[in-house]
Amino acid sequence: MFRFLRRNAAGYVFLSPWLVGFVFLALGPILASLYMSFTRYDMVSPPVWDGLGNYQYMFEHDRRFWKALQVTFTFVAFSVPLRLAMALGVAMLLDKGLRTIGLYRAIFYLPSLLGASIAIALLWREMFGVDGVVNGALAMIGIEGRGWITDPDTSLYTIVILAMWQFGSPMLIFLAGLRGIPRDLYEAAEIDGTSKWRQFWRITLPMLAPVVFFNLVLQTIEAFKTFTSAFIISNGTGAPADSLLFYTVYLFNEAFKFFRMGYASALAWVLLIIIAVFTALAFATSKYWVHYENERD
Amino acid sequence: MSALTLRNVGKSYGALDIIKGLNLDIRDGEFLVLVGPSGCGKSTLLRMIAGLEEITDGTIAIDDRIVNDLPASKRNLSMVFQSYALYPHMSVRKNLAFGLQNLSMSKDEINRRVDEAARILQIEPLMDRKPRQLSGGQKQRVAIGRCIVREPGLFLFDEPLSNLDAELRVQMRVELAALYRRLKTTMIYVTHDQVEAMTLASRIVVLRAGKIEQVGTPEELYTRPANLFVAGFLGSPKINMLPAMVDGDATAPLAKMADFPAFTLPALSTAARDITICVRPEAIHLDGGEVQATGTIRLVEYLGAERLIHIDLPSGQTLLFHATGPDQHVVGDTLQVGFDLADMHFFDADGVRMEAAIAQAA
Amino acid sequence: MKTNVIDRSTVADPEADLAHEIRLRQKAREKRARLLKHAFLMLLSFVMLYPLLWLFASSLKPENEIFGDLGLWPSQFQWSNYTEGWNALPVSFTVFYANSAIVTVLSVIGNLLSCSFAAYAFARLTFNGRTFFFALMMMTMMLPYHVVLIPQYVLFLNLGWVDTYLPLIVPRFLAADGFFIFLMVQFFRQIPRELDEAAMIDGCSPFKIYWAIILPLSLPAMGTAAIFSLIWVWEDFLAPLIYLNDINSYTVPLALRLFVDQEGQSAFGQMFAMSVLSLVPVLLFFVAFQKLIIRGIATSGMK
Repeated sequence: MFRFLRRNAAGYVFLSPWLVGFVFLALGPILASLYMSFTRYDMVSPPVWDGLGNYQYMFEHDRRFWKALQVTFTFVAFSVPLRLAMALGVAMLLDKGLRTIGLYRAIFYLPSLLGASIAIALLWREMFGVDGVVNGALAMIGIEGRGWITDPDTSLYTIVILAMWQFGSPMLIFLAGLRGIPRDLYEAAEIDGTSKWRQFWRITLPMLAPVVFFNLVLQTIEAFKTFTSAFIISNGTGAPADSLLFYTVYLFNEAFKFFRMGYASALAWVLLIIIAVFTALAFATSKYWVHYENERD
Repeated sequence: MSALTLRNVGKSYGALDIIKGLNLDIRDGEFLVLVGPSGCGKSTLLRMIAGLEEITDGTIAIDDRIVNDLPASKRNLSMVFQSYALYPHMSVRKNLAFGLQNLSMSKDEINRRVDEAARILQIEPLMDRKPRQLSGGQKQRVAIGRCIVREPGLFLFDEPLSNLDAELRVQMRVELAALYRRLKTTMIYVTHDQVEAMTLASRIVVLRAGKIEQVGTPEELYTRPANLFVAGFLGSPKINMLPAMVDGDATAPLAKMADFPAFTLPALSTAARDITICVRPEAIHLDGGEVQATGTIRLVEYLGAERLIHIDLPSGQTLLFHATGPDQHVVGDTLQVGFDLADMHFFDADGVRMEAAIAQAA
Repeated sequence: MKTNVIDRSTVADPEADLAHEIRLRQKAREKRARLLKHAFLMLLSFVMLYPLLWLFASSLKPENEIFGDLGLWPSQFQWSNYTEGWNALPVSFTVFYANSAIVTVLSVIGNLLSCSFAAYAFARLTFNGRTFFFALMMMTMMLPYHVVLIPQYVLFLNLGWVDTYLPLIVPRFLAADGFFIFLMVQFFRQIPRELDEAAMIDGCSPFKIYWAIILPLSLPAMGTAAIFSLIWVWEDFLAPLIYLNDINSYTVPLALRLFVDQEGQSAFGQMFAMSVLSLVPVLLFFVAFQKLIIRGIATSGMK
């Protein structure tokens, strides 16, 4: 017993802040959320057990739930590949043949740092407004603009563009990954007469696969969590016509506008499961397309 | 100064035994070298003595006090690491003083000890530098200095010279020997370099696979290796090993070796049929020796003052001959080589040394 | 065979000339490619920066020039957008900035302390369950904040912490952001373990090793973590939105949103002016610590 203490004491002392945080801010809340998802709870009166009622309503009757899923999935499906492709393309441009890239790197990264701020969301709202600067630019080349944000057909894509604008972080990670690919691989390919196009598919991508993989997972999760920009641009409602009803926005409104805490908890658990499934899928399929360099046969 | 007693010491990671049932007495004031091939557990053993690795079995006692549960800092020892482990963000002076500041020691005493160590190691001009501004040899000195200031009862060295280039290694070896003569503190030194082991040690411990193969002075180990492993491990160029058969009765056993005529063996301490006869390369004679064979030179390695001559014997075995004389042999020459009974080491089929009664054989 | 024998001392070497010419042509081609690349990257840089530049320009424009105007140069510099914007809301921006500063500074301190503690335990100390807890920590990094949001809100409400800064700050002292733990673990692992061992022999307790060896050697990682947490806390919107109800305790992002709510047509210039100001601290830190930020992302491989 004494020995056990001596061996473990220091570790647990240093870990204790995290441990307390984990219990009260993560594990406890997750379990509480699970419990609440089976109740009706308005924060005024105590929770009332409702079994699977919330989930049943969600899947069978709640049109807005399905709308929120549709909006969020559409956003993920567009923004993640576009952002990653942009990041990879620019990283490859920066990686070779240029002596100084510091300034470009900084400029391309800057939006990632600012993108989460309210200021940028407000800016976006005005830029894509009816008499915003985007329409101004289109007018110059003779295209008649529209209210990109007030039109339910286009509003989501303004946020996709906002997400694309923030390709800086994955770009930096790709850049670091590209630096890690041994140059002699390309030299060997050059000697073998491999075309640049084939070099990209046969060397760059496979060597970068682990980095691409982790970025894909992380960016997908991030995309599912998108909140601030959608909330601000839709003025907190998901309007117009629920075209900006991101899942998180819907959840937030259910919880903190209508105080349907039980239902919001059920929504939160569905989100958790969706993200877990995506992550698990990515990891499960990764062995078919991700090859680690130091893998042993 | 400290003496150490290791009783049945063992170390295992799960099912994997690194060290098993090891017994060793380390005398007060001796320079003990732990030597062995990589993976033999010598560094682990040192780190167990230091208190950096847990002892999973047995006891380690320093001056009759069992230290198994004593933290490293309370064992009155200090250690030089292979990478020196100097604190990169502290000046040399701070590096030396850091350990002393953790003891409640007066500033004057700390300064006195640090200056004294700096003087002994001649690093006084470097005191305000950071480790990254030092050369390998200088770092080495600071690392040793960090040990000296604590005035410990026991110095531990974990392959301290292996990161130095060849020239500096020889120089630091000499300085370490001088330091030991001056301090007379117990030192335990781990190395895989047998030259370091032979030159520095008052006693050598040869380890293999977590077990002690032999303990003794360098001379004992070289002249009377306890088994084939020690015979082969110590000595460069490597000892010649020739398989042999023993025939005849116990009073006058007859040894039969390929390429050599049969000869009468001295009485051996144990009876065995299949034995190995070992002869050091420097014990081989040209055109002489009590047992002789004829061979052809396959390769001559020229080393300046001496030559290593590889001789093919008719059966296909190779004999290594350490030549110091002014001979002019070239590849392809045929030679008559031989050696004396007194220079032979005998090992039984298990590789254990057999003592020979040489006097009766003559 | 004979033709191969050329007296190189007298005859001009056609082979060498050819090689020289090929090299020149190659260089010219490379230079063209480089110029093309630069041109493209500069164009992209402009596109990337345009929204920010336009934001800044608009913050100085008179109200009637803002919309539909692509230009980046105001006809007249209306600095009053800044002075008036500062006091346009019922409460002055001085209060909002002070609030944001309090929350940010305390959060950064909390993050650095608690995350480096946990990271030190994970990277350096041995204890039962270490790998298990590390795996849990990595999993919480993936956890969407929205999942724990409601129970956390209920918890803090019951503690009477709503409408105080405690729900924003206390979690930072409990290492709630796994990203920083991960970043520090990655860095701590690069510090040679022999240093810890030397310090152990030198009589250091685990805390002393953390304080006197690991922390001083991890200043770059600490700096990176400090800057990231500073920027994220500064920009944080959701948590303040939920926990702060009194306008007097609003942080800057919440205050900015008030401009939208009271969307009087005359407020856009002021809104943009305050938006620009809200980005200034982030920009300053980015310019000053760009290297740390970029290296931090590359080593952690995240965010």
